[in-house]
Amino acid sequence: MEIDIISFGKISEFIHNQSLTLQNVGDSDELKHYLEQAFPQLAEMKYVIAIDKQIVQKNIELNNKAIVAIMPPFSGG
Amino acid sequence: MFSERYDRQIILKGFGTPAQQQLANAKVLVIGAGGLGCPALQYLVSAGVGYIGIIDDDVISESNLHRQILYATADVGKLKVNVAKEKLNALNADVEIKIYPFKIDISNILEIFRQYDFILDGTDNFESRYLVNDASSLLKKPLVFAAVSAFEGQLAVFNVPDAHDEVTNYRDLFPIPPSKGEIPNCSENGVLGVLPGIIGTMQAAEIIKLITKLGQPLINKILTYNVLNQSFYEISVTSSPVGTYQMPKNKEEFLMMNNIPLANAPGEIIEIEGKELTSLQEQSSTIIIDVREIGEVPVLNSAIFKQAPMSVFRKFLTEDITENHIVLICQHGIRSVVAAEYLLEKYGKSKKIYSLKGGISRWKNHF
Repeated sequence: MEIDIISFGKISEFIHNQSLTLQNVGDSDELKHYLEQAFPQLAEMKYVIAIDKQIVQKNIELNNKAIVAIMPPFSGG
Repeated sequence: MFSERYDRQIILKGFGTPAQQQLANAKVLVIGAGGLGCPALQYLVSAGVGYIGIIDDDVISESNLHRQILYATADVGKLKVNVAKEKLNALNADVEIKIYPFKIDISNILEIFRQYDFILDGTDNFESRYLVNDASSLLKKPLVFAAVSAFEGQLAVFNVPDAHDEVTNYRDLFPIPPSKGEIPNCSENGVLGVLPGIIGTMQAAEIIKLITKLGQPLINKILTYNVLNQSFYEISVTSSPVGTYQMPKNKEEFLMMNNIPLANAPGEIIEIEGKELTSLQEQSSTIIIDVREIGEVPVLNSAIFKQAPMSVFRKFLTEDITENHIVLICQHGIRSVVAAEYLLEKYGKSKKIYSLKGGISRWKNHF
């Protein structure tokens, strides 16, 4: 399947906005695992993902053409 | 009657003198008189919010001036709240301004928050942000959250029920505060001066919308703005599954929950993977504690995995643990970090404290 990645803040420095073709990734847990393997820096920081603009709070199915946003917390003021 | 000062907003369709009166009756607390706080304060004061509190313990430095637009070159070295009050009084004497020239902390936050209707988070560090979030949640105070990093800003409204009566807070996005150094702040990472100007102004707009019940505030949504390409991205926030984190239900729980200094905790929590759990299990002086509530599945062998649910963890803390390696586990590896923090506070460096990253759901095959 193919998904679009949108990233923010520090995460955008090592995961650029891009389309990814995935194999054997069917849900959000598997997606997180895949992303942390492909981009090891991600595994070392706090982040949240949203699929099609909905925050992911439990494991959900990932559909073809999904838009996946990866967002870190910001602290600056 | 209101002075001519507010004419241009009173004549707005849907605004009128009732909305102006609502602004005049409102009490807003602005936490941090910095990059976000300065523009927010200027617009809240200009708009005629009746009573505004400003809390900040910092003095003005030259490196603040490119974004903290209440301050002039001659103000360097002065206390921010004093200069802010003087400038804002000159801007609009209708507004009563109360200043708090100290840092918001666990000992003062609840007492101060109780005196306000709306909270604006313009702080610059995670410790304060989580404190502000938890106190706002406990006291059910609408919170307008914003934060910036380099060229991007985040904006959200928490603790306000949406049409389905759902209420969210910052911990529904990020249940656990990042450790020190994990996410850079403005002084490490830099920030384009105009960015907090834009985001702080949007925070003021959200406060004004909440007070006057105009439009659609960003309730249960987080907006990210990027100044480099003028793009906005909005994400809907829902509540975390029950048990992901626990919010304090009363003052005593609040004091306990926020009493853990993030920055200077002695020792640290070691987040481990499944294979490390296996090797720890093989060591003699290891205890593995399952902090899930009774009834959560899969049910683990209680002879190997000691049960100490989060709901009674405080009682469990009074018992002494003899083992040297303490491993905390839960469903997703979030509650276990909180439990680990409690144990870290109790034992410091005298024991090694671990949390299973991703929890039982991630390492299904291990159990």
